[in-house]
Amino acid sequence: MTHVVSDSCIRCKYTDCVDVCPVDCFREGPNMLVIDPDECIDCAVCIPECPVNAIYAEEDLPADQVPFIQINLDLSQAMGWTSITKRKEALPDAEEWKDKTNKLSELVR
Amino acid sequence: MEPQLNQEVINTAAQHDGPIETDAVIIGAGPVGLFQVFELGLLDIKAHIIDSLAYPGGQPIELYPDKPIYDIPAVPVCTGKELTDNLMKQIEPFGATFHLGQEVSIVEKREDGRFFVETSKGTQFLTKTIFIAAGVGAFQPKLLRVEGLDKFDNSQLFYRVKNPADFAGKNLVIVGGGDSALDWALNFVAEGPNKAESVILIHRRDGFKAAPANVAKMKELCDEYEMQFIVGQVTGYEEKDGKLTAAKVTGADGVTRVVPLDVLMVFFGLSPKLGPIAHWGLEIERKQLVVDTEKFSTNIPGIFAVGDINTYPGKKKLILSGFHECALAAFGAAPFIFPDKKIHLQYTTTSPKLHKVLGVESPVFD
Repeated sequence: MTHVVSDSCIRCKYTDCVDVCPVDCFREGPNMLVIDPDECIDCAVCIPECPVNAIYAEEDLPADQVPFIQINLDLSQAMGWTSITKRKEALPDAEEWKDKTNKLSELVR
Repeated sequence: MEPQLNQEVINTAAQHDGPIETDAVIIGAGPVGLFQVFELGLLDIKAHIIDSLAYPGGQPIELYPDKPIYDIPAVPVCTGKELTDNLMKQIEPFGATFHLGQEVSIVEKREDGRFFVETSKGTQFLTKTIFIAAGVGAFQPKLLRVEGLDKFDNSQLFYRVKNPADFAGKNLVIVGGGDSALDWALNFVAEGPNKAESVILIHRRDGFKAAPANVAKMKELCDEYEMQFIVGQVTGYEEKDGKLTAAKVTGADGVTRVVPLDVLMVFFGLSPKLGPIAHWGLEIERKQLVVDTEKFSTNIPGIFAVGDINTYPGKKKLILSGFHECALAAFGAAPFIFPDKKIHLQYTTTSPKLHKVLGVESPVFD
């Protein structure tokens, strides 16, 4: 089991979650964060930090978000996706994208 | 914080020929495992306690030693370190034996009702009861993920240093940006019996999570050409005749450079893994052990689970919940150890029996 970053994060990338992670398991890409499932210890403290509720325990993912389990796994090991441990500014147009859904086509890998 | 061979382990191993026979084995020396010693101690049950780390304290020590904890009853604030120190003091009267720097690999039920337990260091036990207080699992080194590299594990690729002398005179590439990476880099550059032929430190960025003095020292040594620091990530390797000959290091500039080496050392910190617990026939739900809330027994009678590792309806992963679970698990275990004895609940305030096991004087009230 692990926790998973889902669709809501895409093009927003608020990074409040990374400050609280005790095991530094977040990885950063151009317009999304993911969780490295090998390192997540399911402590769940990141869930309430996310202003767009993008993070779920694997078992609690809504059905349409299940593909993000594989996406988190793949991207956490992809070239150029690096560890992020300190909060930083969200993407400039995060406000505009935060309530949009089905953003997978916008994901930059 | 790198696990080292603990003197306690050596002593224990030396004293025993064959398995250690005991009433209780506790797996995990975090706050809950430590308090389990206390609750068992009050019932006159001696325990052996095992942890993969080389020191007691578990998650609060490994993940947040300096972060204040505010939700321990009657302790308004304490750090993970203080909590551990105080628990160690509290359980001192019960003389538990610590087996550190080793993880439990085998748990098997025997025909006589006892359990056979063996650790990664070969320490063996025959025990009437087991208390799994393993939190989120045993802390293991995080691995360097480069396909195919694992075939050099423990021949030329190392995640921990057992004997520094093994690396003397070698060309070392050390990867990581924390205290372990810095400490070992400095250790192998320093004059002395362990001095390496060359030391190259690789970290993905020019910023470290390590003691500033050591970072400064490392930079100074680089300026003096005593060692080298490269910003980059290991993305591949070269081999010849089955020997690892070089690491391919991709820099921040996107250029991949070949760095020749004899030995690759990786210090990415530790990450907990559930590990062998998953194979002991215990009922598991969402990576946690299912227990009842009467005795905190697993589906195997005699094996109890307490703290973050267990789950039951309404479970909340709090240290204080773990402490409560310890008390009930100890009472749940007593019939396995003293089948003919009636167990009474007694209070540390008033029970002369408990005063005796605690090694304190019974107070006299006028």
